[in-house]
Amino acid sequence: MHARPSSAAPADSQPVGIACHAVVEARLSELPRLRDLPSPAPAPALPSRFLRHADEQTVVGLRAVLAAIASHPLPPPSFAGYGVVAAPCRAGRFTAAQSLAMLREGGGVTVTPHVVPQCSLHSLAGAVSVALGMHGPNIGAGGGRHAVAEGLVAALALVAPEASAPAALPGIWFVATAWDDEPALDRTGRPQGGAAPEPRADDPLCRGLALALVADVANGMAQPLRLSVRAAAGARPARLHDADALPADARRAGVGGTRGPEAFTAAADIRGLAVALGTPAGAWSLRCPWGDEIRLESPAARGASDPRGRREAA
Amino acid sequence: MSDLSARGPEAVAITGIGAVSPLGNDFDTIATALLAGRSGVRSIDPGEFAREARQFAATVGEIPAPPAGLADAEAFAGLTRYERLCASPVAHALADAALPGDLDPARIGLVLGLGAEHLKAWELDHLAGGGEVFAPRAADTLVHRLARLVGIRGPAATVAAACASSGYALAIGRVWLRAGRVDACVVGGCDVLSPTALAAFYNLRALSRRGDDPALASRPFDIDRDGFVMGEGGACLVLERSGEARRRGARVRGELAGVGMSSDAAHMVTPCSDPAEAARAITLALADARIAPAELDYVNAHAAGTPVGDAAEAAAIRLALGPAVDGVPVSSTKSMSGHLISGAAAFEAVACLVAIARQAVPPTVNLDRPDPACRLDHVPHVARPRRVRMTASNSFGFGGANLCLVIRAA
Repeated sequence: MHARPSSAAPADSQPVGIACHAVVEARLSELPRLRDLPSPAPAPALPSRFLRHADEQTVVGLRAVLAAIASHPLPPPSFAGYGVVAAPCRAGRFTAAQSLAMLREGGGVTVTPHVVPQCSLHSLAGAVSVALGMHGPNIGAGGGRHAVAEGLVAALALVAPEASAPAALPGIWFVATAWDDEPALDRTGRPQGGAAPEPRADDPLCRGLALALVADVANGMAQPLRLSVRAAAGARPARLHDADALPADARRAGVGGTRGPEAFTAAADIRGLAVALGTPAGAWSLRCPWGDEIRLESPAARGASDPRGRREAA
Repeated sequence: MSDLSARGPEAVAITGIGAVSPLGNDFDTIATALLAGRSGVRSIDPGEFAREARQFAATVGEIPAPPAGLADAEAFAGLTRYERLCASPVAHALADAALPGDLDPARIGLVLGLGAEHLKAWELDHLAGGGEVFAPRAADTLVHRLARLVGIRGPAATVAAACASSGYALAIGRVWLRAGRVDACVVGGCDVLSPTALAAFYNLRALSRRGDDPALASRPFDIDRDGFVMGEGGACLVLERSGEARRRGARVRGELAGVGMSSDAAHMVTPCSDPAEAARAITLALADARIAPAELDYVNAHAAGTPVGDAAEAAAIRLALGPAVDGVPVSSTKSMSGHLISGAAAFEAVACLVAIARQAVPPTVNLDRPDPACRLDHVPHVARPRRVRMTASNSFGFGGANLCLVIRAA
């Protein structure tokens, strides 16, 4: 079996800088309070009741962006020209479950009109764009277990110098959210056992990560943290037009997907990147399902510390 | 590492098309329907949950199986209807492109605009008595399973921007090609009718309520428009760098010459009354394609038939094209196809390729009385023969997402 040599060698991406970042961890019981919590200074205030109909992951993801802005060591720049790529994991499941339960019970008239605009894959990106006045593209990405890889690859492509867009973006926000363990819902779509009045150890935890990515890593701010994509090395031998050439497990997966007890990897990816961001010498890499590797370059090699980060427990 | 900065932007060719739509499932059938002004809107079985008068939509009939040898037929048959709606255009676009069989599959990418994959999957499962939405299990998203189904081993990603989702898939795929990350990329998107989405859009008062004659319900830019008509289906395209596509002798259907993206940053649901950002997306796309507004031969409007959205888009087109606007024909093919939601932008890119291939502008059917608030060079009822080399297609989505694609003749 032969693989035709590519006319263009597999290309690594140019490194992209991280201007600021933050991680937010919120338990299910804390989300009602988080919807109305004022923004941390100097992040801008949100419009009144902006998150009233928002998905739970939108609440956590937007909070992570606000925390990242607040962590900026200098007066934060205008983000008006920034874009947003947001990668929630199974966004909108609570509202979908409630809508499906109500649809069965009371018909279409009972379905909330917010289920599509506020509780879909695009909704977190749209909310960040609307709330913070960002006029670059806003895009949802991923949605499942590989959400971090898909979202980062999309975000890096849009902001990297090789994007060759006519109006280069000054930067792009990457936001990822996921539950450590997906909360089990009852048949009405509410969390099983109801919402605990106070945080408990077994209260499901949602993580949100926000990175402000900038293309200009050589500017005066000397971004201490950088992300890049290393292309998968070497061609992998398989013919395109012959499904039989695929491994048996791949053919099976084409039918029903990979089911089983695997961890929800999006949460693990967020956790791993968050740990690396919080450690001056932290290193992190993520192997994408297609073989590419997304790498975080820490400032350790340059002997610098990273002041541009914030960790917030709600 | 390759020297990407020296490579510069390169034209991106469209070498393969696959589609499933209310107007047909192959390029020629769709072209004939679009230029004949044929409506794909029809009455539908309301199903057990529909209690309101919304029993019409633009539906897909039979979903073509992948061409022999391109995907496991048994695996395809085992997919849900939604998954087959998405898989079919992926496989047919690949077959249409006739990529060399020895092209390294790791150099082929897949980007799908799927705005509500989970909602549709949960709904199907729930209606069949399952409980996936209440306690989900780990499973790969559709884009990865479809990549495996057709043997794609390069980067794969789902993107979403509501009704503009599949347009953003084209935008990301083009960036990957120009950055040298892939040698070919299948891009597009698809959607399926669902009781929950129908109910949600109906309750949002976004859907037309003209149930008496479904074929007359979708009437973009008409003064009596009252909302859009839900549709299902979509399209996928195969993109390649133009130079390499020509060197291998590929049939180049057209080029994705420009992309413009912006956000209104105004409201999560309601279209922005200020046309500035939507116009900026159009202006960016024209600049990316290095053309002036007067060089456009056709604009395929997003115009879904909503009172607010159509007027806002007309204002944006006027602002972006300036004095050239009165010489550029504009139509909305949603008047025939219905609104394919996640699949709309990719399907409307196909409509632009139809205009180029057939040298005629598809009409806006049901445009009996153009709304003065939507003053444009409309193409009502019947197709307009015209030299078409340069086209633009607009797509807008919830969350203020604006996208414009410029597609030109090869």
